[in-house]
Amino acid sequence: MPRWGMIIDLDKCTACQACTVACLAENNVPFAGPEETSMGRAILWHEVIGGIEGEYPDLWATFIPRPCMHCDNPPCIKVCPVGATYRREDGLVMQDYDQCIGCRMCIVACPYEVRYFNWRNPQWPEPMDQYLNPDQGPPQPTGGRGGPDVRPRGVVEKCTFCVHRLEKAERKAQQEYREMSEQELTLLPACNQTCPASARYFGDLDNPKSTVSRLARGARAFRLLEDLGTEPKVIYLKEGR
Amino acid sequence: MTKLSRRRFLKLAGAGAGAMGLYKLGLEEAVQETFAQSQRGQEPEREEVRVPSVCGLCPAGCGILVRVIEGRAVKIEGNPLNPNNQGRLCPKGQAGLQLLYNPDRIKGPLRRVGERGSGEWESVSWDKALGLVAEKLKEMRGEGQPHSLVFMHGAKPGLIHNLIARFGQAFGTPNVVEVPSSTASESASLVHYLMQGWRAPSGYDWTNTNYVLSFGSAFLESRQPIVKMLQAYSRLRRGRPDHRSRIVQVESRFSVTAAKADEWIPIEPGTEGALALSMARVIVEEGLYDRDFIENHTFGFEDWIDEDGREHIGLKTLVLRSYSPRAVAAVVGVPVETIRRIAREFAVTRPAVALGDVSWQTNGLFSQMAIHALNALVGSIDVPGGIIRQEDPPFAPWPLTVEDSVTSQGLAMPRLDHAGTRKYPLADGVYEALPESILADDPYPVNAIFLYQANPLFHSPEPDWFYRAFQRVPLIISFSSFVDDSTSYSDLVLPDHTYLEGWSDDVLVPSLGYPVLGLGQPVVQPLYDTKNTGDVLIELAQELGGTVAESFPWQSFEGLLRFRLRDIFEAGRGSIVTDTFDQFWDEFQERGVWSAPPYRFGDWERVLATPSGKFEFYSQNLEHTLEAVTAREAAEKGTTAEEEMEKMLQELGLQARGDELHVPHYEFPRWVGEETEYPFHLNVYELMSLLDGRLANLPWLQEIAGLHIKEMWSNWVEINPETAKERGIADGDLVWVESLVGRIQAKARLYPGAMPEVVNMPLGQGHMAHGRWAKGRGANPKRIIGNEFDYLGGLATWSSTRVRIYKA
Repeated sequence: MPRWGMIIDLDKCTACQACTVACLAENNVPFAGPEETSMGRAILWHEVIGGIEGEYPDLWATFIPRPCMHCDNPPCIKVCPVGATYRREDGLVMQDYDQCIGCRMCIVACPYEVRYFNWRNPQWPEPMDQYLNPDQGPPQPTGGRGGPDVRPRGVVEKCTFCVHRLEKAERKAQQEYREMSEQELTLLPACNQTCPASARYFGDLDNPKSTVSRLARGARAFRLLEDLGTEPKVIYLKEGR
Repeated sequence: MTKLSRRRFLKLAGAGAGAMGLYKLGLEEAVQETFAQSQRGQEPEREEVRVPSVCGLCPAGCGILVRVIEGRAVKIEGNPLNPNNQGRLCPKGQAGLQLLYNPDRIKGPLRRVGERGSGEWESVSWDKALGLVAEKLKEMRGEGQPHSLVFMHGAKPGLIHNLIARFGQAFGTPNVVEVPSSTASESASLVHYLMQGWRAPSGYDWTNTNYVLSFGSAFLESRQPIVKMLQAYSRLRRGRPDHRSRIVQVESRFSVTAAKADEWIPIEPGTEGALALSMARVIVEEGLYDRDFIENHTFGFEDWIDEDGREHIGLKTLVLRSYSPRAVAAVVGVPVETIRRIAREFAVTRPAVALGDVSWQTNGLFSQMAIHALNALVGSIDVPGGIIRQEDPPFAPWPLTVEDSVTSQGLAMPRLDHAGTRKYPLADGVYEALPESILADDPYPVNAIFLYQANPLFHSPEPDWFYRAFQRVPLIISFSSFVDDSTSYSDLVLPDHTYLEGWSDDVLVPSLGYPVLGLGQPVVQPLYDTKNTGDVLIELAQELGGTVAESFPWQSFEGLLRFRLRDIFEAGRGSIVTDTFDQFWDEFQERGVWSAPPYRFGDWERVLATPSGKFEFYSQNLEHTLEAVTAREAAEKGTTAEEEMEKMLQELGLQARGDELHVPHYEFPRWVGEETEYPFHLNVYELMSLLDGRLANLPWLQEIAGLHIKEMWSNWVEINPETAKERGIADGDLVWVESLVGRIQAKARLYPGAMPEVVNMPLGQGHMAHGRWAKGRGANPKRIIGNEFDYLGGLATWSSTRVRIYKA
């Protein structure tokens, strides 16, 4: 069983945010609009965080593309009273929208702030509903689907590592009696596929030969909030930290 | 395998000749292998195809693959076959779905019924709308006034650009004027004309560059083609083992590009040319220049004697005479040691390239010349890792238009924008000069304005001028897909398709060097009763009859496209070589792109097309242009050319005389407003997301707008924290930003990346129309930017206005 993880090379990243928009498009994430955004209700499964630090003229910037970390030891799961968030065998941390009661404990517990609450039913003014991705995700323990589709008011949602694309590719590889190629894997999540700087990789962290595991072992590798013991599976690369 | 039903096949066949291509696309392994494919048996079967096309959100020409399910476009991804973007897209490209399916699109032709700007329209049929336009155009030609039509168009690449020019040519108006999206590439184009003999931006061989010295070029944010630039950055950083190229950003603001560079050098606005010349001096003084290149391929480095025995000074003498780092340091605000160090680094870390986007200042063209001179000094012209000249696809020249006497007389009339005259001697077009001429009927009245992807009521400096000018013009026709600022003041709207609904082509913005041509094809059926503007122009021309119709012998824009593509087919080179044209056309549709790598270095006749056949530090093209303009004037007025030259230089505000004028040198910038009254420079910039503002109605791009300062859905003014404190301005306060021209309100953001005497505002917001998410959001800085222009090229200079700031 693979253990899926992502590498983001901050030395290559230019903070263009194509990843953020690709994610919005792939996963039917509703846009919040100015009012909701000012109330902190914008939903961005993927976001570039950080900013500019220092005092003029000695300045530096840290821009960090931030999807869900899909922690091996995820705090969100421990606080969920109804088991709506769970970790799959392949390491993906998923949200079951049918099971979620919207208590938002997980939002508080997540130190990476990657979880978002639906304050209203998503809306797309006509004809914007035309561009919605009809893909369904994998079946959930409660019988629902955990893919793009759309999420109703009152549930929490977050990045899935584009699980619907992953499963589709897995099925295809199975049908063709082959392994998924490195290139195929790396381009699987929508954020990775569009990245102009090719700064992102995706693959099996447990496969010692994979690009992701090789990069994860390198000298430039680090993880966010390492000391919390969450064991995130998004690994960043940066020179001279 | 992707499935394409007979129904879909027929639907597409009806839409055009694209169906065969789409069908074959399903077999295109190279394209398909990167995508997760069908899941037969797992989910309901759907008609699903990926249609290759080109992105239309900026002119760069990235290839796209659109995932179309049951006739709906649900995702836009990069086309891996297009070498420009190699399967990648920037955030704008990703957001194209919100353009296609935008609820504020115009659904069919509109005729104004209320006052201009009232927003009251009635729907009319295409027949009626085109009838109205044709009638008016016939009337203008009937009265011998074809020149009273002004056709303003945006910086759209490819065939439509040529078609518009041809329409003007056949109809008989010299007033076809481009409204550039940003003037950056325009000034680079001019500099290449002056020093290398061809008028276009350059490409760069990023694969082998070791040092990038950027003077204000936001090459990681708003330069085109942006995806290629971001790929280049990635390669420069981590592309070669054990080798990391150095990037230095000289800019009057700590931009995202500056943040990603190794070093940021803040500089006094408008002094980039002085810094570049000072670096040139260090390189010359210390003998660090490329002797081989200077000797064999440059003109005007050493002093020289012309055919008449007159002595002229060269760049070497000029920089050694002036521009010592010690003298320049105080002007530019950069320490002497930094100037020396960067100059040495640049000269020895070859191949090195110097980029400049400094045209937003009145002295921008000369600064750009100085920056480009650095490239020649270190021998970075047309070598691996250096500056290259983009080759165009092998199109043959169009057949000439046919002219009758009305057309010839119209074309002989002077241009309304005075481009190419003593006012703007090097200009091709000066759209911001139009209002003055229109308001004064100088030298003749304007009867109609056409607007294609041009929104002067938003994009021009002091747009109030255009508002007033519009009032004087009896007929304004817009081809926009949205009721944007200018369209809201028009009389008739003939809405274009979006780029995902019609045919187009896209010639790569200079970058890779070798020619690349992208194909834009209908990805979905048009949503509304819209028409490709190319088709509309052909139809209008045919309706006009006579020589105008004869000049447009094509049935449709698609027909014209196929006609043009024959040249590429017949060239028999590049990525698509076939036996018949039909095969070529099919394959072009399947791949969405044609390209002909590799780039060939060292074709000096092509790269150095100057009068001397060399890189000209002393620009003979500049000298000849100025002489020709003044000789013409002198002949008309019966004065001497010398008198006219002096008069022109004084009017242009140029300080240099004689040889110095034609060699890179420093001119003092002009400012709108006195420092005593307006203590701050207003420095405007373009964001990755919104660019110049044409994309402001796409929510996804509003959501990511101000990353560096955490501002979304708004605009703001960046002020240095110390400066703000002195003025009692706190983070988030509403402030007035006031210039000689007027004042606007904005949210103050304390930004440590702002220089103490420079305040910064992003462009792109402050629309008066353009849709629900764009309208009334923030303020448009261009409203307070004075109508100032670059000395010779007539380019609007966006950052030459001074302002004061106070709490609202």
